[in-house]
Amino acid sequence: MEDKGLKKNAIGYISNVVIGVASTAPGYSLAATLGVIAAVGGIGLQSPAIMIVSFFPMLCIAAAYYYLNRADPDCGTTFTWVSKAMGPKSGWTAGWAIIAADVLVMPSLAFVAGQYSFQLFGWDAAAGNKWAILAVGIAWIIVMTWICWVGVELSARTQQILLSIEIFTLCLFAVVALYKVYFNDPAGSIRPEFSWFNPLEISSLSALTGGVLLGVFIYWGWDSGVAVNEESEDPASGPGKSAIVSTLILVGIYVLVTTAAQAFAGPKLLIDNPDDIFAPLGESVLGTGLDKLLIIAVLTSASASTQTTILPTARTSLSMARNKAMPAIFGRIHPRYLSPDVSTLAMGGVSALVFFFLIFKDENLVFDAFTALGLMICFYYGLTGFACTIYYRRHVFKSVKNFFFIGVLPMLGGLSLGYVFVKSVIDLRATDSGYAGPWLGVGAPFVIAAFVFLLGGVLLALSIPRYREYFSRKASVVDPAVLESAPATGGGD
Amino acid sequence: MAGLIVGYDGSDGAEAAFHAAADLSKRLGVGLTLVFGFEANPVGGEALDYWAALREHGESVLGTAIEEAKAAGVEVETLVVERGPAEALAELADEREADMIVVGSHGERPIAAAVLGSTPHKLLHLSHRPVLVVRI
Repeated sequence: MEDKGLKKNAIGYISNVVIGVASTAPGYSLAATLGVIAAVGGIGLQSPAIMIVSFFPMLCIAAAYYYLNRADPDCGTTFTWVSKAMGPKSGWTAGWAIIAADVLVMPSLAFVAGQYSFQLFGWDAAAGNKWAILAVGIAWIIVMTWICWVGVELSARTQQILLSIEIFTLCLFAVVALYKVYFNDPAGSIRPEFSWFNPLEISSLSALTGGVLLGVFIYWGWDSGVAVNEESEDPASGPGKSAIVSTLILVGIYVLVTTAAQAFAGPKLLIDNPDDIFAPLGESVLGTGLDKLLIIAVLTSASASTQTTILPTARTSLSMARNKAMPAIFGRIHPRYLSPDVSTLAMGGVSALVFFFLIFKDENLVFDAFTALGLMICFYYGLTGFACTIYYRRHVFKSVKNFFFIGVLPMLGGLSLGYVFVKSVIDLRATDSGYAGPWLGVGAPFVIAAFVFLLGGVLLALSIPRYREYFSRKASVVDPAVLESAPATGGGD
Repeated sequence: MAGLIVGYDGSDGAEAAFHAAADLSKRLGVGLTLVFGFEANPVGGEALDYWAALREHGESVLGTAIEEAKAAGVEVETLVVERGPAEALAELADEREADMIVVGSHGERPIAAAVLGSTPHKLLHLSHRPVLVVRI
């Protein structure tokens, strides 16, 4: 019954870049983070610098993805890789962090979707009402889960068009805003200065790590492009390269848009509107009519992001179930839709519950969950960095190139994200660390993150005796043939 | 290598196609191949496990069909192909110079079909070989 004769659908280099950028969802990422980053105490005017600094750990992790992907060009991701390189307990924990991160981002996605849907129709009263947003947000989660469940997928062409519109709109916004800053001098505007891009101007280390914690989020998602490798034209190296190219495109957009938004309105406006930053800005920059384009770009971006959140979560739990590290039911495939239905529906259901709970308790918790999400991302991206060096440890000292791309970069990525993680955990305990008030005597983001890790710890403890076969696996090293047969290109080209 | 190629995913439409094709193959005295084609978006990661799950599903669906065919006294060959159903059928039919492709008039993804076009519809555009669409 094996299929050997038919050629696979080839995904080109450009498509990989498109998938990487679309999955990162620049429009939504900016809408969700611009205000929250500007609000981190001590960042001041240096938001653009944060966009640049956050890019470095991600570039390092890109090298790790590139090499892990080369060793295992079968669309594995962090769960599979970390299990192999660092053993089943680390692998399980990484899988848990991915699932938790994906669940924690859903309230923010639903919130942005609700908020911007109302903005699109100019219904400002509803856009400011949390129950109205809750209703639309829940509907959004249901629709998106349903789309993933029945397996409707956008074609590569549609995705390219949507992404082009998104990028075009963001650039248009930035260029017009900067033009007006220089030639019309609107009230509240400030001209960009070199110091905005200089991370050394950031007043404290806490401000820097707090910013980077949010900054890593905006680059989160390009790993989807890396995961698309089995069907790529050059499975062993194409996707890794496209991940790097897509990251470079993203840095450009993020720095440009952040600079433009801040120059046009000043940081105060960004801080005061963490949930709908493009709504007040869009109209004054682009004028009525065109500002809707910006809102549509954010909405399409959020929908792409929601799908690329639900899919990988369902895939990770499917993979964990098939590796017998989770209840087998999560590995079930719907006989008609061919989707991992239990995993997909569970993801949607849990997300909707979390969203409901956060809004019900205090809508500001949505932003705090978002901050806690940064911790999860740092955690599992960091683990991926370490996993790469550990998996390839016998090859690190074999050449200068290996040393740099397998040893230095992934370790540097892992260590820097580890540092951001630890420093943020300490800082987030402060009672004023979140948008919502303190919870149980500490900052709300800390409570959310601690709850997720505790729950993970309990589930891990329960799983170890249950899934003996998986947890008795041993960590391994890479097959030496992988590097010998690899093309002579490095991770950075 | 001529014969009939049947798109088979275990749905009612596939079942109808299978029965019509089994009848035809007896009368024409040609071979019968059941094909389960699937396509999984690699976006989302962990695709290897997902593909393995889909392949297993396809094999189990085809396994049931083999039993049915045996009971009816028909010889069948089965194939799981990692390719969109329409493409899988069209390409295999070309490769084997099949007499005909047989599919059900509608499969089991009505919503996907409405949005993206159904497999038989797509097949009519793709296939160089005759296509028989069997109504349920």
